[in-house]
Amino acid sequence: MVNVEDLISQVLRIGVLTGVVITSIGFFTSAEIAWLGVFVLILTPFMRVIMAGLYFLSRKDLVYSALAAYVIMILVIGSFLRII
Amino acid sequence: MVDLDPNLVPVAILMFGIFAGSLGAMLGLGGGVLMIIFLLLALNIPAHQAVALSLIAVIASSSMAGSVYIKDRMTNLRLAMVLEAFTVSGAVAGAFLALSLPVSAIQALLGCVLFYTSITMFKEREAECFESLGSGTLDGEFYDERACATVKYRVRNLEVGAVASLIAGAVSGIVGIGGGVIKVPIMNLVMKIPIKAAAATSNFMVGVTAAASAVIYFQSGLIDLHLAGPTILGIMVGAYVGTRLLARSRSVVLRKVLAVVLAFFGAILLLKAGGLLAW
Repeated sequence: MVNVEDLISQVLRIGVLTGVVITSIGFFTSAEIAWLGVFVLILTPFMRVIMAGLYFLSRKDLVYSALAAYVIMILVIGSFLRII
Repeated sequence: MVDLDPNLVPVAILMFGIFAGSLGAMLGLGGGVLMIIFLLLALNIPAHQAVALSLIAVIASSSMAGSVYIKDRMTNLRLAMVLEAFTVSGAVAGAFLALSLPVSAIQALLGCVLFYTSITMFKEREAECFESLGSGTLDGEFYDERACATVKYRVRNLEVGAVASLIAGAVSGIVGIGGGVIKVPIMNLVMKIPIKAAAATSNFMVGVTAAASAVIYFQSGLIDLHLAGPTILGIMVGAYVGTRLLARSRSVVLRKVLAVVLAFFGAILLLKAGGLLAW
Protein backbone atom coordinates (compact mmCIF):
# COMPACT_ATOMS: atom_id res chain seq x y z
CA MET A 1 0.00 0.00 0.00
CA VAL A 2 1.49 3.28 -1.12
CA ASN A 3 1.10 6.33 1.09
CA VAL A 4 -0.93 9.19 -0.33
CA GLU A 5 1.90 11.59 0.52
CA ASP A 6 4.43 9.57 -1.48
CA LEU A 7 1.99 9.21 -4.36
CA ILE A 8 1.33 12.96 -4.50
CA SER A 9 5.06 13.60 -4.28
CA GLN A 10 5.66 11.37 -7.31
CA VAL A 11 2.80 12.88 -9.30
CA LEU A 12 4.15 16.38 -8.74
CA ARG A 13 7.71 15.46 -9.61
CA ILE A 14 6.96 13.42 -12.70
CA GLY A 15 4.40 15.96 -13.93
CA VAL A 16 6.72 18.94 -13.60
CA LEU A 17 9.74 17.19 -15.10
CA THR A 18 7.68 15.94 -18.05
CA GLY A 19 6.28 19.43 -18.57
CA VAL A 20 9.72 21.05 -18.43
CA VAL A 21 11.25 18.55 -20.86
CA ILE A 22 8.42 18.82 -23.39
CA THR A 23 8.31 22.64 -23.19
CA SER A 24 12.08 22.82 -23.63
CA ILE A 25 11.92 20.51 -26.67
CA GLY A 26 9.15 22.77 -27.96
CA PHE A 27 11.50 25.75 -27.77
CA PHE A 28 13.75 24.16 -30.38
CA THR A 29 11.03 22.55 -32.48
CA SER A 30 7.51 23.90 -32.65
CA ALA A 31 4.96 25.96 -30.75
CA GLU A 32 2.60 22.97 -30.74
CA ILE A 33 5.04 20.92 -28.69
CA ALA A 34 5.67 23.86 -26.34
CA TRP A 35 1.87 24.15 -25.98
CA LEU A 36 1.69 20.50 -24.95
CA GLY A 37 4.48 21.01 -22.40
CA VAL A 38 2.74 24.00 -20.80
CA PHE A 39 -0.50 22.00 -20.80
CA VAL A 40 1.17 19.11 -18.93
CA LEU A 41 2.68 21.57 -16.46
CA ILE A 42 -0.65 23.25 -15.73
CA LEU A 43 -2.33 19.85 -15.47
CA THR A 44 0.12 18.63 -12.80
CA PRO A 45 -1.44 20.45 -9.80
CA PHE A 46 -4.90 19.39 -11.06
CA MET A 47 -3.74 15.77 -10.92
CA ARG A 48 -2.57 16.07 -7.36
CA VAL A 49 -5.91 17.54 -6.27
CA ILE A 50 -7.65 14.58 -7.92
CA MET A 51 -5.26 12.19 -6.10
CA ALA A 52 -5.96 13.83 -2.75
CA GLY A 53 -9.70 13.82 -3.46
CA LEU A 54 -9.68 10.09 -4.28
CA TYR A 55 -7.67 9.40 -1.15
CA PHE A 56 -10.17 11.19 1.08
CA LEU A 57 -13.03 9.50 -0.76
CA SER A 58 -11.48 6.09 -0.14
CA ARG A 59 -11.39 6.93 3.55
CA LYS A 60 -15.05 8.04 3.38
CA ASP A 61 -13.86 11.45 4.50
CA LEU A 62 -16.67 13.29 2.79
CA VAL A 63 -15.89 16.85 3.89
CA TYR A 64 -12.41 16.73 2.37
CA SER A 65 -13.64 14.86 -0.71
CA ALA A 66 -16.18 17.64 -1.23
CA LEU A 67 -13.45 20.28 -0.86
CA ALA A 68 -11.35 18.52 -3.50
CA ALA A 69 -14.38 18.27 -5.77
CA TYR A 70 -15.02 21.99 -5.32
CA VAL A 71 -11.40 22.85 -6.21
CA ILE A 72 -11.54 20.62 -9.30
CA MET A 73 -14.84 22.20 -10.30
CA ILE A 74 -13.36 25.71 -10.02
CA LEU A 75 -10.33 24.62 -12.05
CA VAL A 76 -12.54 23.16 -14.77
CA ILE A 77 -14.76 26.26 -14.87
CA GLY A 78 -11.60 28.37 -15.09
CA SER A 79 -10.34 26.37 -18.02
CA PHE A 80 -13.52 27.15 -19.93
CA LEU A 81 -13.35 30.86 -19.22
CA ARG A 82 -11.89 32.28 -22.35
CA ILE A 83 -11.48 35.99 -22.57
CA ILE A 84 -11.71 37.96 -25.86
CA MET B 1 15.80 51.49 -22.08
CA VAL B 2 17.83 49.60 -24.64
CA ASP B 3 15.81 47.11 -26.61
CA LEU B 4 17.35 43.69 -26.48
CA ASP B 5 17.95 41.69 -29.64
CA PRO B 6 14.85 39.43 -29.82
CA ASN B 7 17.12 36.42 -30.25
CA LEU B 8 18.70 37.14 -26.88
CA VAL B 9 15.46 37.40 -24.93
CA PRO B 10 15.15 33.61 -24.32
CA VAL B 11 18.80 33.47 -23.24
CA ALA B 12 18.29 36.40 -20.87
CA ILE B 13 15.20 34.73 -19.38
CA LEU B 14 17.03 31.42 -18.95
CA MET B 15 19.96 33.07 -17.20
CA PHE B 16 17.80 35.19 -14.96
CA GLY B 17 15.57 32.20 -14.18
CA ILE B 18 18.59 30.30 -12.86
CA PHE B 19 19.50 33.29 -10.71
CA ALA B 20 15.94 33.86 -9.44
CA GLY B 21 15.35 30.16 -8.83
CA SER B 22 18.50 29.65 -6.77
CA LEU B 23 18.06 32.87 -4.79
CA GLY B 24 14.41 31.94 -4.18
CA ALA B 25 15.36 28.47 -2.95
CA MET B 26 18.04 29.91 -0.66
CA LEU B 27 15.79 32.51 0.91
CA GLY B 28 12.54 30.57 0.86
CA LEU B 29 11.10 33.18 -1.46
CA GLY B 30 9.12 31.98 -4.43
CA GLY B 31 10.89 32.72 -7.71
CA GLY B 32 7.78 34.50 -8.98
CA VAL B 33 8.48 37.85 -7.35
CA LEU B 34 11.89 38.23 -8.97
CA MET B 35 10.77 36.78 -12.30
CA ILE B 36 7.89 39.19 -12.75
CA ILE B 37 10.10 42.22 -12.01
CA PHE B 38 12.62 41.06 -14.60
CA LEU B 39 10.04 40.31 -17.30
CA LEU B 40 8.25 43.61 -16.79
CA LEU B 41 11.07 46.04 -16.17
CA ALA B 42 14.13 44.56 -17.84
CA LEU B 43 12.56 42.93 -20.87
CA ASN B 44 9.52 45.19 -21.29
CA ILE B 45 7.24 42.22 -21.86
CA PRO B 46 3.56 43.31 -21.88
CA ALA B 47 2.07 43.02 -18.39
CA HIS B 48 -0.44 40.23 -19.02
CA GLN B 49 2.08 38.06 -20.83
CA ALA B 50 4.68 38.69 -18.14
CA VAL B 51 2.19 37.64 -15.45
CA ALA B 52 1.30 34.51 -17.44
CA LEU B 53 4.95 33.49 -17.83
CA SER B 54 5.63 34.16 -14.18
CA LEU B 55 2.66 31.96 -13.22
CA ILE B 56 3.98 28.94 -15.10
CA ALA B 57 7.40 29.46 -13.52
CA VAL B 58 5.63 29.50 -10.15
CA ILE B 59 3.78 26.24 -10.93
CA ALA B 60 7.06 24.53 -11.82
CA SER B 61 9.10 25.70 -8.85
CA SER B 62 6.39 25.25 -6.23
CA SER B 63 5.37 21.79 -7.47
CA MET B 64 8.98 20.66 -7.37
CA ALA B 65 9.52 22.00 -3.85
CA GLY B 66 6.07 20.71 -2.87
CA SER B 67 7.00 17.19 -3.90
CA VAL B 68 9.92 17.24 -1.46
CA TYR B 69 7.96 18.81 1.41
CA ILE B 70 5.11 16.32 1.22
CA LYS B 71 7.51 13.40 1.00
CA ASP B 72 9.13 14.68 4.19
CA ARG B 73 5.64 14.98 5.77
CA MET B 74 6.00 18.72 6.36
CA THR B 75 2.77 19.54 4.56
CA ASN B 76 -0.56 19.59 6.36
CA LEU B 77 -2.64 18.01 3.60
CA ARG B 78 -6.03 18.59 5.21
CA LEU B 79 -5.36 22.21 6.00
CA ALA B 80 -4.10 22.68 2.44
CA MET B 81 -7.33 21.20 1.07
CA VAL B 82 -9.42 23.62 3.13
CA LEU B 83 -7.41 26.76 2.36
CA GLU B 84 -6.85 25.99 -1.31
CA ALA B 85 -10.60 26.04 -1.87
CA PHE B 86 -10.23 29.74 -1.04
CA THR B 87 -6.96 30.45 -2.88
CA VAL B 88 -8.27 28.80 -6.04
CA SER B 89 -11.52 30.80 -5.93
CA GLY B 90 -9.48 33.96 -5.53
CA ALA B 91 -7.09 32.92 -8.29
CA VAL B 92 -9.83 32.46 -10.89
CA ALA B 93 -11.47 35.75 -9.91
CA GLY B 94 -8.08 37.50 -9.92
CA ALA B 95 -7.05 36.25 -13.36
CA PHE B 96 -10.45 37.13 -14.78
CA LEU B 97 -10.25 40.59 -13.26
CA ALA B 98 -6.64 41.11 -14.38
CA LEU B 99 -7.52 40.66 -18.03
CA SER B 100 -9.86 43.63 -17.88
CA LEU B 101 -7.59 45.77 -15.70
CA PRO B 102 -5.38 48.45 -17.24
CA VAL B 103 -1.64 47.81 -17.12
CA SER B 104 -1.16 50.66 -14.65
CA ALA B 105 -3.42 48.92 -12.12
CA ILE B 106 -1.37 45.72 -12.38
CA GLN B 107 1.84 47.71 -11.94
CA ALA B 108 0.42 49.55 -8.93
CA LEU B 109 -0.72 46.33 -7.24
CA LEU B 110 2.62 44.67 -7.89
CA GLY B 111 4.37 47.75 -6.50
CA CYS B 112 2.34 47.43 -3.29
CA VAL B 113 3.03 43.68 -3.08
CA LEU B 114 6.78 44.33 -3.41
CA PHE B 115 6.65 46.86 -0.57
CA TYR B 116 4.73 44.41 1.57
CA THR B 117 7.21 41.63 0.76
CA SER B 118 10.07 43.94 1.62
CA ILE B 119 8.54 44.78 5.00
CA THR B 120 7.93 41.11 5.89
CA MET B 121 11.54 40.32 4.97
CA PHE B 122 12.81 43.03 7.31
CA LYS B 123 10.62 42.09 10.23
CA GLU B 124 10.41 38.33 9.93
CA ARG B 125 8.85 37.75 13.26
CA GLU B 126 8.21 34.14 14.08
CA ALA B 127 5.55 32.89 16.41
CA GLU B 128 7.33 30.55 18.77
CA CYS B 129 4.60 29.24 20.98
CA PHE B 130 2.05 26.78 19.75
CA GLU B 131 -0.72 24.92 21.41
CA SER B 132 0.59 21.43 21.20
CA LEU B 133 -2.57 19.65 22.29
CA GLY B 134 -4.40 19.08 19.06
CA SER B 135 -7.82 17.53 18.89
CA GLY B 136 -9.32 18.80 15.65
CA THR B 137 -8.96 17.09 12.27
CA LEU B 138 -6.88 19.98 10.96
CA ASP B 139 -4.18 19.75 13.61
CA GLY B 140 -0.86 18.52 12.42
CA GLU B 141 2.58 17.36 13.34
CA PHE B 142 5.92 17.07 11.65
CA TYR B 143 9.45 16.04 12.46
CA ASP B 144 11.73 19.02 12.98
CA GLU B 145 15.22 17.97 11.94
CA ARG B 146 16.92 20.86 13.64
CA ALA B 147 15.21 20.25 16.97
CA CYS B 148 15.30 16.45 16.56
CA ALA B 149 11.73 16.23 17.77
CA THR B 150 8.21 15.82 16.52
CA VAL B 151 6.37 19.13 16.68
CA LYS B 152 2.62 19.00 17.18
CA TYR B 153 0.45 22.01 16.65
CA ARG B 154 -3.13 23.09 16.84
CA VAL B 155 -4.57 25.21 14.04
CA ARG B 156 -6.24 28.38 15.29
CA ASN B 157 -8.29 31.13 13.64
CA LEU B 158 -9.18 29.21 10.50
CA GLU B 159 -11.51 31.98 9.32
CA VAL B 160 -8.65 34.51 9.20
CA GLY B 161 -6.59 32.02 7.20
CA ALA B 162 -9.48 31.53 4.78
CA VAL B 163 -9.80 35.27 4.11
CA ALA B 164 -6.01 35.64 3.73
CA SER B 165 -6.01 32.70 1.28
CA LEU B 166 -8.77 34.25 -0.81
CA ILE B 167 -6.82 37.53 -1.03
CA ALA B 168 -3.54 35.72 -1.72
CA GLY B 169 -5.19 33.79 -4.55
CA ALA B 170 -6.62 36.92 -6.15
CA VAL B 171 -3.32 38.82 -5.88
CA SER B 172 -1.51 35.80 -7.35
CA GLY B 173 -3.85 35.77 -10.33
CA ILE B 174 -3.37 39.48 -10.99
CA VAL B 175 0.37 39.94 -10.54
CA GLY B 176 1.73 36.44 -11.19
CA ILE B 177 3.36 35.64 -7.86
CA GLY B 178 2.65 32.58 -5.73
CA GLY B 179 1.10 34.43 -2.83
CA GLY B 180 3.14 32.69 -0.14
CA VAL B 181 4.31 36.06 1.10
CA ILE B 182 0.72 36.89 2.08
CA LYS B 183 -0.25 33.49 3.50
CA VAL B 184 2.83 32.38 5.43
CA PRO B 185 2.96 35.26 7.97
CA ILE B 186 -0.78 34.89 8.64
CA MET B 187 -0.53 31.12 8.98
CA ASN B 188 2.39 31.48 11.35
CA LEU B 189 1.39 34.47 13.47
CA VAL B 190 -2.41 34.21 13.49
CA MET B 191 -3.12 30.53 12.87
CA LYS B 192 -0.21 29.55 15.14
CA ILE B 193 1.28 27.05 12.74
CA PRO B 194 5.04 26.49 13.11
CA ILE B 195 6.90 28.32 10.35
CA LYS B 196 8.21 25.19 8.61
CA ALA B 197 4.79 23.59 8.37
CA ALA B 198 3.26 26.93 7.34
CA ALA B 199 5.81 27.39 4.55
CA ALA B 200 5.42 23.80 3.30
CA THR B 201 1.62 23.94 3.37
CA SER B 202 1.51 27.34 1.70
CA ASN B 203 3.92 26.17 -0.99
CA PHE B 204 1.72 23.14 -1.60
CA MET B 205 -1.27 25.39 -2.28
CA VAL B 206 0.71 27.76 -4.48
CA GLY B 207 1.01 25.23 -7.33
CA VAL B 208 -2.72 24.69 -7.69
CA THR B 209 -3.43 28.39 -7.14
CA ALA B 210 -1.06 29.44 -9.92
CA ALA B 211 -2.48 26.70 -12.17
CA ALA B 212 -6.03 28.01 -11.63
CA SER B 213 -5.01 31.46 -12.91
CA ALA B 214 -2.56 30.17 -15.51
CA VAL B 215 -5.22 28.11 -17.24
CA ILE B 216 -7.23 31.29 -17.89
CA TYR B 217 -4.21 33.08 -19.37
CA PHE B 218 -3.42 29.93 -21.32
CA GLN B 219 -6.91 29.76 -22.81
CA SER B 220 -6.70 33.43 -23.70
CA GLY B 221 -3.50 32.78 -25.65
CA LEU B 222 -1.43 34.98 -23.34
CA ILE B 223 1.30 32.43 -22.60
CA ASP B 224 4.21 33.12 -24.94
CA LEU B 225 5.03 29.57 -26.04
CA HIS B 226 8.44 30.55 -27.36
CA LEU B 227 9.49 31.98 -23.99
CA ALA B 228 7.79 29.30 -21.86
CA GLY B 229 10.66 26.80 -22.26
CA PRO B 230 13.50 29.10 -21.11
CA THR B 231 11.33 30.45 -18.28
CA ILE B 232 10.51 27.07 -16.74
CA LEU B 233 13.88 25.49 -17.43
CA GLY B 234 15.77 28.42 -15.90
CA ILE B 235 13.73 28.50 -12.71
CA MET B 236 13.96 24.71 -12.31
CA VAL B 237 17.72 24.57 -12.78
CA GLY B 238 18.05 27.51 -10.39
CA ALA B 239 15.87 25.87 -7.74
CA TYR B 240 17.90 22.66 -8.08
CA VAL B 241 21.18 24.49 -7.68
CA GLY B 242 19.80 26.58 -4.83
CA THR B 243 18.66 23.59 -2.80
CA ARG B 244 21.46 21.15 -3.60
CA LEU B 245 24.61 23.22 -3.61
CA LEU B 246 23.76 25.91 -1.15
CA ALA B 247 22.36 24.97 2.20
CA ARG B 248 19.27 26.93 3.04
CA SER B 249 20.84 30.19 3.96
CA ARG B 250 19.69 32.21 6.89
CA SER B 251 21.92 35.04 5.77
CA VAL B 252 20.46 38.16 7.33
CA VAL B 253 22.54 40.44 5.13
CA LEU B 254 21.35 38.82 1.90
CA ARG B 255 17.74 39.06 3.06
CA LYS B 256 18.07 42.73 3.89
CA VAL B 257 19.79 43.52 0.60
CA LEU B 258 17.01 41.78 -1.28
CA ALA B 259 14.38 43.55 0.83
CA VAL B 260 15.85 46.90 -0.21
CA VAL B 261 15.99 45.82 -3.86
CA LEU B 262 12.32 44.80 -3.76
CA ALA B 263 11.32 48.10 -2.16
CA PHE B 264 13.27 49.94 -4.88
CA PHE B 265 11.43 48.13 -7.67
CA GLY B 266 8.16 48.56 -5.78
CA ALA B 267 8.73 52.33 -5.91
CA ILE B 268 9.63 52.18 -9.62
CA LEU B 269 6.44 50.29 -10.40
CA LEU B 270 4.28 52.71 -8.42
CA LEU B 271 5.89 55.65 -10.24
CA LYS B 272 5.33 53.93 -13.57
CA ALA B 273 1.73 53.18 -12.70
CA GLY B 274 1.18 56.84 -11.83
CA GLY B 275 2.68 57.86 -15.18
CA LEU B 276 5.50 59.67 -13.40
CA LEU B 277 8.25 57.53 -14.82
CA ALA B 278 8.80 56.29 -18.34
CA TRP B 279 11.06 53.30 -17.71
